[in-house]
Amino acid sequence: MARFLIARLSGVVLILLLVCLFTFGVFFVLSPDPAVQICGKNCTPELIERIRTNLGLDEPLLAQFFSFLGGLFAGRTYGVGESATHCAAPCLGYSFQSSQPVWDMIMDRLPVTATLAVGAAVLWLLAGVAGGLLGALREGTWWDRGAMVVALSGISVPNYVFALVLQYVLVVELEWLPFPGTVTFAEDPGGWFQNYLMPWIVLAFAYASVYARLTRANVIDTLSENYVRTARAKGLPRHQVIRRHALRPALTPIATVFGMDFAGLLGGALITETVFGLNGVGKMTADSISRNDQPVIMGVTLLAAFFVVVGNVVIDLLYTALDPRVRVNSA
Amino acid sequence: MTAIGKTPPLLEVEELNVTFPTPQGAVDVVRDLGFTLEPGGSLGIVGESGSGKSMTSLAIMGLLPPRATMSGRVRLAGRELSGLTDRQLRRVRGDRIAMVFQDPLSSLNPYYTVGTQIEEAYRAHRQRVTRRQARRVAVEAMERVHIADAARRVDHYPHQFSGGMRQRVMIAMALCTEPDLLIADEPTTALDVTVQAQILRLLTEVRQETGAGLLLITHDLAVVSEMTEEVLVMRAGACVERASAERLFSDPRHPYTRALLDAVPRLDDEVGELRTVHGRGPSPAAGATEGDER
Repeated sequence: MARFLIARLSGVVLILLLVCLFTFGVFFVLSPDPAVQICGKNCTPELIERIRTNLGLDEPLLAQFFSFLGGLFAGRTYGVGESATHCAAPCLGYSFQSSQPVWDMIMDRLPVTATLAVGAAVLWLLAGVAGGLLGALREGTWWDRGAMVVALSGISVPNYVFALVLQYVLVVELEWLPFPGTVTFAEDPGGWFQNYLMPWIVLAFAYASVYARLTRANVIDTLSENYVRTARAKGLPRHQVIRRHALRPALTPIATVFGMDFAGLLGGALITETVFGLNGVGKMTADSISRNDQPVIMGVTLLAAFFVVVGNVVIDLLYTALDPRVRVNSA
Repeated sequence: MTAIGKTPPLLEVEELNVTFPTPQGAVDVVRDLGFTLEPGGSLGIVGESGSGKSMTSLAIMGLLPPRATMSGRVRLAGRELSGLTDRQLRRVRGDRIAMVFQDPLSSLNPYYTVGTQIEEAYRAHRQRVTRRQARRVAVEAMERVHIADAARRVDHYPHQFSGGMRQRVMIAMALCTEPDLLIADEPTTALDVTVQAQILRLLTEVRQETGAGLLLITHDLAVVSEMTEEVLVMRAGACVERASAERLFSDPRHPYTRALLDAVPRLDDEVGELRTVHGRGPSPAAGATEGDER
């Protein structure tokens, strides 16, 4: 088990290093000169030169990469003498736009994204599994068809369209929900909940649709397994046959997909956050892309990669608990 | 059971018909099948693939696929089963009639230990059984089918057993409720030849201990000749011949039975080639007598 863990974790480190190298390459080599952008309107060649020196942009590319890596693990100091600023350990650099440390910017916005992701995940797991189960157990009936039509629309309607329709109906027409605002949980739990409700539904809808189809297909598959026939031949009640012998094996592969999806979401839900004006990582990313704020884009890319890779390892470990056949034989 | 009258047969099947709807129209996979089995008796059903023998066993258990329709009567110890609701049938399944299936690997759930799966079968039919009691029953059942170190093996998963051991687990699961009737559907087909003999011996031993009746479904004539007193030969869903095992092998009456017996390869065979039953066995969709030209 320890050996398995060490192997997986060193794989994680390697992948993250490669992601670093790749994003660094893409953003710093292919994009326009950041010094010119930072310099702004009243720019002189001397000013540009000074910015370049301060940011270390005059160094060779590989050296820049290593100081970036060094900043991640040990922190780094920009500039020299009086203008020197120290950027503490997980240093992702400073935003070109706001001059704030990227790490702090991300950490400020991560709670919003995490709230969005967790709430949506709960919704989509419940709705997706329930819908899929309904379809599978009532295969071929109108229940099944109805559930699958809803699922298909969830996949095919872009979620910004769904978001706008939902806002129009719930807020403008029915006035069930207030206009979105910024409310923290501590200030007003009810308002906080109302504020997040629509983003949760919108984000969950698309995922729930995929999960419903996946659950339906998996349950139909397992229902035709021989061991389900055995369970019925033993005289188990129908609910036990379904829950223990059909649902459990059918949901195990869904755990894998869920881990990936959830981890990916922690890197920011760009469209949902932007449409609902939620100040999360996704909206920050969208803003940074439109302003070509390279350090922020790079920081978010790294963060997203980190979540996905770590999420994968967690799922792998979880899988050994979920499926006895892949359990590493220790006894 | 009472002093008045005769004990009813353990299993009575009358005019059993099983039909599947297909785009080409309804297909009868079992037609007008009838037989009886006395308490503690044994009956073998033999036939080629697709002759309807497995469907017969599933029909008795009420486990036919939902698309299939069934008519006729199935009585267990005088009690009509064919009209029962699924809930009422559930009490019979696994308790009075237990089943052993062909492929023990796919017939056991890979996600649960064999102990859990045996316990489930027991607890489904016994009220107020603690986990500990059920577990003791599971260990005992495993010991009865000669699984060594049962107290430890009870916590293992199906993939940790060999094929023969898995079939022993299936048998342990079937006998833990002391059923009156054991239906074994090709119980040795998926196993090695050497293991086959052990499993058959075990089935005989279990029957002697529990006095359960046996309905053995197989395509293997050698197996029925050793295991059952009576044999029913099925073809295209219908009974072709029914006789005591002894008579069937010494004096087969129906040409199909004779062809079937001839197809068994023998060591002293003078013909170099393997003989086959003529034709592919009529499709259940076609008439029952077609393809009998030989």
